[in-house]
Amino acid sequence: MRGLSLRRPASLDDFEGRALAGGTDLVTLIRDGLVEAGTVSDVRALLPRGLDGTRIGAGTTLADLERSDEVAEALREACRLAASPQLRNMGTIGGNLLQATRCWYWRLDYPCFLHGGDRCHAREGEHREHAIFGNELCASAHPSDPAAALLALGATIETDRRSFPLGELYRLPTEDDRNVTALESSELILHVEYERPEASTYLKAMDRARFSFPLVGVAAARYGGEVRLALSGVAPIPWALGSATELDEATPLPGTAYKLELARVLVRRALERVGA
Amino acid sequence: MVEEDALDPWQAGPLETVGRPAERVDARARARGEVQYTADVQLPGMLHAAVLRSPHARARLVAINLDAARSLPGVRGVIGPGDLEPLTAEPNYHGQPVAAVAADSFREARDALAALAPQWERLEPLLDPEEAVRRGSLIGEARRYSRGDVSRGLAEADVVVEAEYRTQSVLHNALETHQSVCVWEDARLTVYTSTQFIWGVRDDVAEAFGLPKDDVRVVCRYVGGGFGAKNEAGDYTLIAAELARRTGLPVRCALTRREENLDSGNRNPTIQRLAVGSRADGRLIALRGEYVCALGWDGWLPSVAGPMKMLYACDSVETVEYGAKLNTSPMAAFRAPGFVEGVFGLECLLDELAVRLELDPLELRRRNYADSDPLDDRPFSGKNLAECYRRAEPHWARRDEVRSRSEEPWKRGVGLASQIWYGGGGPPSYAWVRVGSDGHAVVVTAMQDIGTGTRTAMAQIAAEELGLPLEHIRVELGDSARGPYAVESGGSSTVSSMGPAVRAAAADAARQILEIASQRYDLEERVLSLRNGQVMSADGGSWPLEEVTGLLEDAQILGRGARGPNPTGMRVLTFGIQVAEVAVDVETGEVKVERIAAVHDVGRIINPLNAGSQVEGGIIQGLGHTLSEQRLLDPRSGEVLTQTLDAYRVPTAADVPEIVVELLDVPDEHLTNLGSKGLGEPPIIPTAAAVVNAIRDATGADVRSLPVTREELLAALKEARARALAPQAG
Repeated sequence: MRGLSLRRPASLDDFEGRALAGGTDLVTLIRDGLVEAGTVSDVRALLPRGLDGTRIGAGTTLADLERSDEVAEALREACRLAASPQLRNMGTIGGNLLQATRCWYWRLDYPCFLHGGDRCHAREGEHREHAIFGNELCASAHPSDPAAALLALGATIETDRRSFPLGELYRLPTEDDRNVTALESSELILHVEYERPEASTYLKAMDRARFSFPLVGVAAARYGGEVRLALSGVAPIPWALGSATELDEATPLPGTAYKLELARVLVRRALERVGA
Repeated sequence: MVEEDALDPWQAGPLETVGRPAERVDARARARGEVQYTADVQLPGMLHAAVLRSPHARARLVAINLDAARSLPGVRGVIGPGDLEPLTAEPNYHGQPVAAVAADSFREARDALAALAPQWERLEPLLDPEEAVRRGSLIGEARRYSRGDVSRGLAEADVVVEAEYRTQSVLHNALETHQSVCVWEDARLTVYTSTQFIWGVRDDVAEAFGLPKDDVRVVCRYVGGGFGAKNEAGDYTLIAAELARRTGLPVRCALTRREENLDSGNRNPTIQRLAVGSRADGRLIALRGEYVCALGWDGWLPSVAGPMKMLYACDSVETVEYGAKLNTSPMAAFRAPGFVEGVFGLECLLDELAVRLELDPLELRRRNYADSDPLDDRPFSGKNLAECYRRAEPHWARRDEVRSRSEEPWKRGVGLASQIWYGGGGPPSYAWVRVGSDGHAVVVTAMQDIGTGTRTAMAQIAAEELGLPLEHIRVELGDSARGPYAVESGGSSTVSSMGPAVRAAAADAARQILEIASQRYDLEERVLSLRNGQVMSADGGSWPLEEVTGLLEDAQILGRGARGPNPTGMRVLTFGIQVAEVAVDVETGEVKVERIAAVHDVGRIINPLNAGSQVEGGIIQGLGHTLSEQRLLDPRSGEVLTQTLDAYRVPTAADVPEIVVELLDVPDEHLTNLGSKGLGEPPIIPTAAAVVNAIRDATGADVRSLPVTREELLAALKEARARALAPQAG
């Protein structure tokens, strides 16, 4: 952390280094040496905040979303079940989408695949909280509840330079590129816009009643006769599920087989909830 | 000196102050942040230590550059292997201390650790406790116990149940991490530390530095939690003392949360292979237990077989306990060490037997009630477990109604488990009571209050004996240089050890006050008493206490008290029962504990308000043990993965069920001038078994391993379904 400088730019044009909004993940990552940052720009006051129908300012906190009646149920519930009230008061939706995995090997800075190493320590190690999809090279699980909800809600991301579907924000890490997000250097998320569903829900299994990352989270949103499904906690990135039968394509590890059972039950319940 | 046993026992039930709810005397100051924890101690020129810890479970240090750290800005002292006993070049667990740096700031100290550039040769760790037992890697001898003829008992039994239970490692995670500030003045050392045992720290540190014991002064005003892991000086204290000695400045060594979860003690995992044989009517005729405790690199073997040996009347019992020595961090006492784990195994086994016998689990326990100590037939000083069972009946009787509220996918059920533990305390412990001319009293003793409300309980006892309002009592504790020896705050022994000494000291002071009053009012001492801040005479006369104490001017009344012995030839134990109600989502394995009723017999209750808090705290910590807490290691390297509180999951407020506390409040007539036993540990003991038995009641699933994670419960539910579908065998 030596030499870290915190800037408060007057406008987003002056922004440099890493963007700090709620700081609920970034501060711990910098503290633990997992993110190298010489300069951090506090953009909290500069980010758009609040709701305009289905368009959400990136600086809107999870607490704002959880309390709003006009937010789609899946997103509201995902925010309500995330973290703790204190963290939801600070954490922003933009930052939440970009949060890093809770994989203990990654957080403890093991030279794992995601950190650029040659193997995933979790696959052969302790992995009860890890992935059942997309886990061949890296078995980490994406921890964001709202990301799964927004994925099911067909969200679009607007940055300071382009807009694209939320699904394209995420990418599985590859030999050539270990990043799990596709933002360019110093690109900032400014808005998230979703499509209002006829019905939506978010169901979450966790290790205690509150304040836990998802073992499995399932978001479902119904648009006419079509239901979109997305899962949290099951892959290195939020995982869109074409249909319930795609669960048959899961590749659970010995210690994550139970997650597939959980996913089957929660997907079935979510589909029932949205009236599929 | 007035010995406690010279005093008449108080009558049972609430008295003037004792037995009545009292807000903690320090509650407001603590809530306002005004009290000084060790974490708050700031001394002029104080340095901060950071500790280099082994990143491997077993390794040999090939190279280290202590000099590189010495030249860095702010660094004042660096020590490594060979400089201090706990620092090692051949660490045997992840997190074992290797070197330490003292610097002007913690950041400079921590940054200097990187400059040490240690190089390691990694060695193969021993992690499997069963393998350790096979290889003879044990701490101490295997502990064997036998009475009767277990083989014959099991052969002759109408029903035999055998099962293997496992419990995990859980971490204390007190809010205040382990820490000390050490400062030398001449050749004498003062240690500010977060501890459960001031005098134990004094002795440990004096021995380590070759000092006369009283050249070490230990100060501990307030503690942010102990739970058993703060009974000794600890490496961090010795590191701070050595760096302070070398630099001539005060040094703080405070564990970070990660260090706390690496190397500050833990509840050791257990493997329990148990068998029970009974008659068709439920009478136990044989119990057998083989216990493997995964102790880590150091520690001691807790009495995990204790409950099997002591809880029920059973003629034939055979147990063996192994303490496996492994390349994991040393265990430490953790709130009823051994009995939490042993009661879990035994009380689940009993319920599995009850299912086989188709017998009510409460009735099964009643049929095996031990009227005297099963170990040696000694009488109990006081055992009211039967009364606890009776008081539990209304809670137990709720089970039909609870079950009937089951609705897919939530199945509901009720389970119970008995509690057994020590808690009688013992000598030595001393207290002084000082009364000045203003008629206020000060209790002085060098004990510690680890957050359990000790100050308040001691003030209540002194107030009762002196007939003073609680506000007129101060309790000065937490400093070995300013009070007499007192027991450690562990083993549920604080109130039972210290309380009688405080009462004796207060009685000694009261006697002296009455002596003066007798002269002042020309009345016989035997007709005088102290009550409501007054001196009262038998014929109805009363005078304000200050009128008597005012005669003292600068003189003081000094009362002294000591804890007497426990009753000879008797077993002093605590007992109880908890009844848990759960709801289980049989599709997802989610468990909601909805209600726990706790009925405990711990003798006289000094402060019902505080006692209720202890029971609630014990149950909540027990629920963490049951459902969500586990230290996870990398299975190959033995490195600790759950170092932070997002990965290591203590219960949240949302996990806390309705808790109903019932304390019998019956003084143990054979035990001390108070008849009080300890309550710190009893409430955590039966919680896990009660919850797991409730899960069985709700679903038919036999959970035999803690914590009850989703994967554990889903597997047990699957097995129960398969069993239900299978053709009935035999």
